[in-house]
Amino acid sequence: MLEWIRFVAGTVFLAIGILIFFVQLAGVFRYKYVLNRMHAAAMGDTLGISFSMAGLMIFSGFNFTTLKMALVILFLWCASPVSAHLVARLETTTCGNLSDFCEVQEDKETDKEGEKA
Amino acid sequence: MKKDRFLAWLDGEEDLYEGNVEVKPQEEYEVPQEVLMERMRENKRLRERVNDVEHNREYKFFKHLYRILAVDFGILLILLLLLAVSFLPPVGHAANPDNNEVSARYIEKGLQETGAVNIVTGMILDYRAFDTLGESHVLFVAAVTVFVLLRAGKGKQEENDRIYEPKNDTILQKAAFVLVPMIMIFGIYVILNGHLSPGGGFSGGAIIGSGLILYLNAFGFAKTERFFTEKTYKRVCLFSLAFYCLAKSYSFYTGANDIHSAIPLGTPGAILSSGLILPLNICVGLVVACTMYAFYALFRKGGF
Amino acid sequence: MNLESLYHTEFIVVLVLMALFLFACLIRAVRGPLVADRVVAVNMMGTMVMVMIAVFALLLGEGYLVDICLIYAMISFLAVIVLTKVYMGVYLAKKKSRKESGEETQDA
Repeated sequence: MLEWIRFVAGTVFLAIGILIFFVQLAGVFRYKYVLNRMHAAAMGDTLGISFSMAGLMIFSGFNFTTLKMALVILFLWCASPVSAHLVARLETTTCGNLSDFCEVQEDKETDKEGEKA
Repeated sequence: MKKDRFLAWLDGEEDLYEGNVEVKPQEEYEVPQEVLMERMRENKRLRERVNDVEHNREYKFFKHLYRILAVDFGILLILLLLLAVSFLPPVGHAANPDNNEVSARYIEKGLQETGAVNIVTGMILDYRAFDTLGESHVLFVAAVTVFVLLRAGKGKQEENDRIYEPKNDTILQKAAFVLVPMIMIFGIYVILNGHLSPGGGFSGGAIIGSGLILYLNAFGFAKTERFFTEKTYKRVCLFSLAFYCLAKSYSFYTGANDIHSAIPLGTPGAILSSGLILPLNICVGLVVACTMYAFYALFRKGGF
Repeated sequence: MNLESLYHTEFIVVLVLMALFLFACLIRAVRGPLVADRVVAVNMMGTMVMVMIAVFALLLGEGYLVDICLIYAMISFLAVIVLTKVYMGVYLAKKKSRKESGEETQDA
């Protein structure tokens, strides 16, 4: 009986993980600008991998393998947002006309204060 | 009279041929201006005709033919190779040249003779340790060669083309602060467990090298040179390779004189087992890590 | 309908689905007009391959294949760092040199 509970729970988590990957892929394809796509990719990576690995951890039981999978999730939680930040930095530096794609707010009030003072 | 004239000519006073045969001074041959202009115009016409691609029928035909032939050649090559592969015997067939007594002995007696649960590590660091010694030396020689070649243009200092790269990114530094120790510990784990699970010196060394590269990218060259300079590289490589040589020449000595090796094998499955495999793994791992970092630093900076 | 064959079937289905997603990511990497598109797509491909390796490790019953997952995560992270850094440096250097030569032609 316990085996069937483990099977069902693991399958549910794994199915949610695959659904999140599919949503991530749909987002990457439908958005028009690379910063939007990067947002979809980063969200999908972090959440999708944690749900999939949680399902696989339930499948494998109390093992050393489970601990290694938890380590993989931890590593990706630390590394994936930094990747998103780096890609955003690349895009805003090398794009010639950023204000065509998204709103760039000029900081006019503090400039005027700096000139007066 | 003729004699007189002859004698005068002999002495150089009179020139017999003066007035009869004279060589006129040559005029400079000037190419007339029209000929020059005509030549220039003809060159220009030729160049235009050669570079004129739209009206060149042979060129277009050749372009189409080339594309078709290239695809055909690729497909033909793929089919030939697949045909050659289909003649290979199936995997695990009893009459393969793979299944000789050497591999049978390695598989049957590998655990007992080397003490390593992972037979592959036992093979490359115990039965065939000489090959692995050669491989470590090759890595070291490759790094030194790159070093020499990059220094060959002595005197012309290349400008520093890393001025415009982003430096001191706070987010990356905070992430590297957490991740680099994790990667290093994982690399050490993979090296030490070479004889128990797949891993060993080469993969563990690559992981440690990646950790060093991550540290370098996050913190810059100045901070990395506080603990990894050229001296460190030289000392680590020298120590590792020398230790490997000495350790394995012990086996040459005992093998040549028919003495049993006195290194205990231990219980298989424990971490302190299988004789010399653990120290040799550590040596190989150190060399590989240093080589990976050296390649990256050499190609980015031109030196250590 | 015992549990073993169910596990087996489910793992194979997951592997096939992830392979299709991987191919779609490759299309994005080829088509994306900007460099950042391609970097994002390659990162996504690395993550999907990681899930595939973990599923494979459970399918074969060998626990040590999960080490490869960790190495893959590290390699893809490192690749993103180095690519963005180098490309930004090259772009800014070219812009500077173009501005200098542009100013020279303006002066002359």
